[in-house]
Amino acid sequence: MRMVAILTVLMIPLTALGDDLGMSPSIQEVKKQHEAQFLKMTGVVSVGIGLDPDGNQAIIVGLDGSHPETEANMPQTVGGFPVVVQIIGSIRAQ
Amino acid sequence: MADDVNRIRSILSTHRRELLKRANVVATGVGYKETGGAKTDRLCIVCSVKEKVPPARLPEQEMVPTAVDSTPTDVIQTGVIRALQAPTDRFRPAPGGVSVGHVDITAGTLGCWVTKSGQKVILSNNHVLANSNAAEIGDAILQPGPFDGGRFPQDHIANLTQFVPISFQGGPSECQFANAVISVFNFGCRLISSNTRYKVTKIQAEENLVDAAIAVPLNGADVKDEIFNIGPIQGTVSGELGMAIKKSGRTTGFTTGEIQQVDVTANVQYGAGQVAVFTDQLLAGAMSQGGDSGSAVLDNNNRLTGLLFAGSDKTTIINRIENVFSALGISL
Repeated sequence: MRMVAILTVLMIPLTALGDDLGMSPSIQEVKKQHEAQFLKMTGVVSVGIGLDPDGNQAIIVGLDGSHPETEANMPQTVGGFPVVVQIIGSIRAQ
Repeated sequence: MADDVNRIRSILSTHRRELLKRANVVATGVGYKETGGAKTDRLCIVCSVKEKVPPARLPEQEMVPTAVDSTPTDVIQTGVIRALQAPTDRFRPAPGGVSVGHVDITAGTLGCWVTKSGQKVILSNNHVLANSNAAEIGDAILQPGPFDGGRFPQDHIANLTQFVPISFQGGPSECQFANAVISVFNFGCRLISSNTRYKVTKIQAEENLVDAAIAVPLNGADVKDEIFNIGPIQGTVSGELGMAIKKSGRTTGFTTGEIQQVDVTANVQYGAGQVAVFTDQLLAGAMSQGGDSGSAVLDNNNRLTGLLFAGSDKTTIINRIENVFSALGISL
């Protein structure tokens, strides 16, 4: 039991160090973690990786129309990456 | 001025046949003479030629005289004049970028010719060549598609050889256990003379990577291994954020765009309220409409990067070509 406690204490600085070395999850991983939750929100038809207006890598959420509630509930960032909402309309096979 | 034009028109009508007989002349008309590349205000008889040939290399009887009935002539190079073809027309041989479709659909786009087991085959979408899973292998493919006047058998160009089934949400389940359980239920319903029957549907459909199918031509001579308004394909390339792209399609013809998103998961509506989830897609701005499905998407160096299949008012959704090739076991 004591051993586990010591290991846990040891792990904390290691994890923090990992973050400093750029070991935080990639945008692909963050998107994968959150996309199912986004796609459940009313009107969401797509989730992808693109750029925000400032040119930063961002998670882009597409809506099939205006959904103020979905837009209000959408986080501004996840895992440190900006989330951008765009109204793109329904996606249909062409 | 109008008098001058009419005078030259009457001279031209007398000499038109004789001018058009000359080997290189493809058209005659009345226009302003050009000298040293600049237009002058002098009216003349303009002879359009396939190719300007130096007088030394041209037999005298093929040469355009410098004047006809004291009206000067001008020779301009226009190349061969052809009737303009629309992508909805019938093409033999048929290039990519033109109308195609399964006998039971409206029309889509013949993406391009690819190789399957050493043979050139048509690449397009499942929903264009295989009627969204409803087709049978061997079904007739028409060029142009039925909506553009394609008829069986005169426009029959190919037969469906393979398609990647699209997994729809709420579609029939292939789960054998669930289907076995339900058949017992339905047997029970029958025993008690109930009119109710149950069927198994998928709650969570599998994710799709591609909407793709191939068809083998009836005649190898119908293959034109290039894309209408683009030309031959120069290899493949993996789609990346910011990449400039283009396509040639049945409805909107030649259009260009840019890859704005990668790694896209999208819910795509098919007719009759069916929805399919696609992952690992490329997303571009609006560059297509209904009927452009199946278009090959290329980069600025004519390298193939995707297969267009869906879109909204503001976006175009594209399968990655590497996923298409591996799903169907094909190459360029």
